Amino acid sequence: MSENNGKLDFAFTLFNAMRKDNVGYIYRGYFTQSITDNILALTESSLERAEPSAKIKKRVYSIMVECLQNITRHQEDAEMDLAKAYGIFVIEKKNERYYITTGNLIDNKNIPQIKKLLEKINSLDPEELKNYYKEVLMEGELSEKGGAGLGLIDMARKSGNKLSYDFKNISDLHSFFYLHTIPSLTKEGGDAEGGEDSLQNIIGIHEILNNENLLLIFNGNFNQETLVNLLSTVEGQMSGPTSFKKKIFYITVEMLQNIFKHGDSLNIIEDGNPGIFFISEKTNAYFITTGNYITKDKIEDLTTRVEYVNNLTKEELDDFYNKRLFNFDIDDNKKSGLGIIDLRLKSGQQLYVKFNDIDNRFAFFTLQAKIPKA
Amino acid sequence: MEPIVIEATEDTPKVHLDAVNNKFLIADRSLPENSIEFYQPIFEWLVKYTEAPKEKTNFEFRLEYFNTSSAKQITKILLILEKLATTWEVVVSWYYKKEDLDMLSSGQRYAKLINIKFEFVEFD
Repeated sequence: MSENNGKLDFAFTLFNAMRKDNVGYIYRGYFTQSITDNILALTESSLERAEPSAKIKKRVYSIMVECLQNITRHQEDAEMDLAKAYGIFVIEKKNERYYITTGNLIDNKNIPQIKKLLEKINSLDPEELKNYYKEVLMEGELSEKGGAGLGLIDMARKSGNKLSYDFKNISDLHSFFYLHTIPSLTKEGGDAEGGEDSLQNIIGIHEILNNENLLLIFNGNFNQETLVNLLSTVEGQMSGPTSFKKKIFYITVEMLQNIFKHGDSLNIIEDGNPGIFFISEKTNAYFITTGNYITKDKIEDLTTRVEYVNNLTKEELDDFYNKRLFNFDIDDNKKSGLGIIDLRLKSGQQLYVKFNDIDNRFAFFTLQAKIPKA
Repeated sequence: MEPIVIEATEDTPKVHLDAVNNKFLIADRSLPENSIEFYQPIFEWLVKYTEAPKEKTNFEFRLEYFNTSSAKQITKILLILEKLATTWEVVVSWYYKKEDLDMLSSGQRYAKLINIKFEFVEFD
């Protein structure tokens, strides 16, 4: 237990950190076409709900597309241990404003060229930027990879604001290149300054994710739609034998449905329940963690049930599951009475729970399942 | 009897129940948020079917994933079939993907608890 308690606190800390800055979605890992598509689908559906302006929606979406293409196009450059080279994609919304950040590994020798290009882009006004775009397009000064320069110019044009960026050296050969875009809320653009602070915050979070080897984090409201999109991402991201991938899938489904079936919301009506979900990879196991609000009256019952299930042997668990399977007194839209038993059976490990105090009525409930690697 | 044909979605299964053509199938993913609502028409159809069933009913489960609330609805389907099997021939074909031991053991669990003939079929 002791080994895990630190990590359980970490869920609440991360939830608070992300909530504070309204960081909605972080993906860290290898970017494939299907993962990119899923990220877009997931963020598009939250945009759909959260953003009333069609113009801003479109602007944010098209910048996201450009950012993700930028990552997929350049991640292969890295000739090093894949996990250390994992790129990152982050979207957050603060005070009506969106912040889109990407980080990907680049060769140090490319830094001066990228820096020069970004400095140039940031020095131009919209009209000059438009001309520069045309110029680059016509001269065909495209990199071998296919238009990285154009991508950045295009991003700056769509954003309407200066691009913030940073490089973080990680070895003699490589650095992470961070690009931070704040799409303008007006047609004229130039309405956002000071992306530096929010960029540094993301760089800090990326460092935590790298240290903890966190692969996928979603912070936001959970409902069936989020589940479907997250599942596709998880499926695309996990590698290993089929049986192992299926276990991860099963456990993810139960834990996410648990958030929106049994969690609570501090506000009265939200589309789904707020919470956090992440997957981390350690040497011998994966950890799937969820955190969500619950009313305090549920704590005792939950604790008892988890403790009970944790102390059963494999045979006892099987019997208990069978009994519950035929117990139709517990069978409504929310409860089957099987979720926790199933998590324990599928993972083959004890479940970890933790409650953090929020106020008189609510607590933050962290649940973690450990899935040993095959 | 009108057949039920429901196409699969990302979180609900394909359902094909057709008495005339002797087809009884539930396939793909069953992870609905509200599984009771999803399975209700299926129970109703099956109960009606048992009033004038075929000599032999071969019910196929070809599932890729199902959540725990679907597990309970599958139990209900099997209980209807178990009742049918007291007078008629009923076989449950439980498909599982190669290497998907969790799906195989879920089927074996039902086979142990429900008094019907089960056959296990591996597929790619």
